[in-house]
Amino acid sequence: MTAPISVRDLSKTFYDEGRGEIPAVNSISFECHEGEVFGLLGANGAGKTTTLRMLSTIITPSSGAASVLGHDVVTEAEGVRKNLGFYSASTALYPRLTARETIEFFARINQYPADYVTGRVNSLIDRFGISKYANSRVDRLSSGMKQKVSIARTIAHDPRIVIFDEPTVGLDVLNALEVQESIRQLRSEGKTIIFSTHIMSEAEKLCDRIAIIHGGRILACDTLANLRAATSEHYLEDIFVHYVKDPVDPVNRK
Amino acid sequence: MNLRDIRILYLRELRSALRDRTIVTGSILVPLLLYPMILWLAYAGFTFVSGQSADLKSRVMFKDIPLANAFVKQLQTDPRIELQTSSVPQHDIRNGTLDALVEFIPSDSPSGPSGLGANFKAKITYDESRDRSDTAESRIEQKIVEYRTKDLERRAGQLGISTAAYQDFWVDTANVSSNREMARFFLGLMLPTFLLVMLATGAMHPAIDSTAGERENSTWETVMTLATRRSNVLIAKYLYVATMSFMAGLLNLIAMMFSLRAMLTPIFRRNGSDVSISIPLQSIPIILLGALLMALLVSAVMMILASFARTFKEGQSMVSPFYVVIMIPLMFLSAPGLEFTTKLALIPIMNVTMMFREAIQGTYHWPMIGITVSVELVCIAAAMFTATSLLRYEDLVTGTHSGSFLKFVLAGIKRRGSPR
Repeated sequence: MTAPISVRDLSKTFYDEGRGEIPAVNSISFECHEGEVFGLLGANGAGKTTTLRMLSTIITPSSGAASVLGHDVVTEAEGVRKNLGFYSASTALYPRLTARETIEFFARINQYPADYVTGRVNSLIDRFGISKYANSRVDRLSSGMKQKVSIARTIAHDPRIVIFDEPTVGLDVLNALEVQESIRQLRSEGKTIIFSTHIMSEAEKLCDRIAIIHGGRILACDTLANLRAATSEHYLEDIFVHYVKDPVDPVNRK
Repeated sequence: MNLRDIRILYLRELRSALRDRTIVTGSILVPLLLYPMILWLAYAGFTFVSGQSADLKSRVMFKDIPLANAFVKQLQTDPRIELQTSSVPQHDIRNGTLDALVEFIPSDSPSGPSGLGANFKAKITYDESRDRSDTAESRIEQKIVEYRTKDLERRAGQLGISTAAYQDFWVDTANVSSNREMARFFLGLMLPTFLLVMLATGAMHPAIDSTAGERENSTWETVMTLATRRSNVLIAKYLYVATMSFMAGLLNLIAMMFSLRAMLTPIFRRNGSDVSISIPLQSIPIILLGALLMALLVSAVMMILASFARTFKEGQSMVSPFYVVIMIPLMFLSAPGLEFTTKLALIPIMNVTMMFREAIQGTYHWPMIGITVSVELVCIAAAMFTATSLLRYEDLVTGTHSGSFLKFVLAGIKRRGSPR
């Protein structure tokens, strides 16, 4: 069975007028398995967001290849986007739409069957406890409420793959826990999830496998248990430091 | 192109826009209320100021004129002229306490019946830089001309010569245009200006909101992950901006039509004619076509310029120069003797303005209209091609590029690079 997400030698180089060419992601390779939470763990500027943006077709790779459910991210971008939900802490909602309109819009435009949209919207409103403010405009909601609507709109079209790019950045503890709970629920529904974070405890709690990314390269990629065994470190923080301080051979093809 | 997706995206844009105070104000309320109101206020203000200056007395000093002279009596009975004396009249004129000095310089010939010489020279000293003094000069000159004409007629009558006999020829004018045509001429001068301004104003906020606004609100990334082609997103946004622009133009045209009607009708009535001020019905399709073409062109260019901005403020500063460019043809619109020639029909924006003007006046130069439509369509196609080409530039689409359209083009030339 082919992996739902497959990344081969993926690279991305940006061009800056002052600094010239900047390699953000340098020939990374990994695969995500069906129904797992795959974590991309790295410091700020490690290349996590760039990798996820390439996978979600926001930007195109400079070289290498990646596919989502068999769709190439460059040549079949539309097919990729149809099967993928992208959530990022930096991504906002349309402020002048209501919560219900927002979820409905994303369900429709992301090709959820038209006859079932209303039912899907209602079920998401119930599931995330949005009903009290479903008809309120997004710009009048609290950040906690917005975050629930955001997750609901991400999965409005019931995608098989969901990408969470640093979803808890800027959230308080309670809201962050709610996001984590949502990720767990999605995993239990059989969704394949890629989750990027720089918070070690989150990765420890949620991820089935973790890829440690640093300087645009994947330094290690395995289950937490195997990473512990390989480094003789217990805490993920120490494991992370172990690889980052001594980046020997990148484990790109694990 | 997926019409279903475009429709969903278009309705989303429109729904958001109609809930935004700035857009509703700029694209609906301003065209509908503000400009007609400004026009009405300007008209009322102008009428008031004209009335005030018409009532204002001209302070005039006469020098070397016999007090018993009939001309002086005429002046004394004119309520608009106030006779004054001064020891330093020229100084007083400069100071603004006196408006004009009239000096009568008699000739050597014997005095006529009026008390003045048969030939005399009237020298008027005034200050042209002051309105009141300038008005005084006009009034005095008019009075002197009237006095001279009457005096000549009287003297000719005494000698048994008729006016027709001593007046070799005279000029008579006949205006063949009807009052309705005159009214349309005024409408043709004014309405295209407001229509063009409104089409641009109506497009400005939506164009910025749908491009730079998405970046400022951090919704751009969401748009990029929608399961539809980016060209569908672009078309939907473009149609939305063009709709707002067209709507603003149309609402303003209707509002201005009624405002001008309310203002011009009393003026024509005062001149003794009862005329209905309206646009010819057969012109409406041409006006709508012109407004649509302009809305499409203005929207495309504004969206291209605004797509380089990362914030609403940046967007405004990038779009504003184009706003000024649109206004340039309007400066030539009132130029005397401006005809809708082939050369003018080849100049974008200017050609539509001329087409509007002629259509409002009920004139249709079909070859010019054909050229105008073709030129505008070529411009729209060029703008669309540019917009689609820009989608290939990732740093622009993702908003990492910083700088204007001009900077982008220059950088591209410098790099000689293909899209990254």
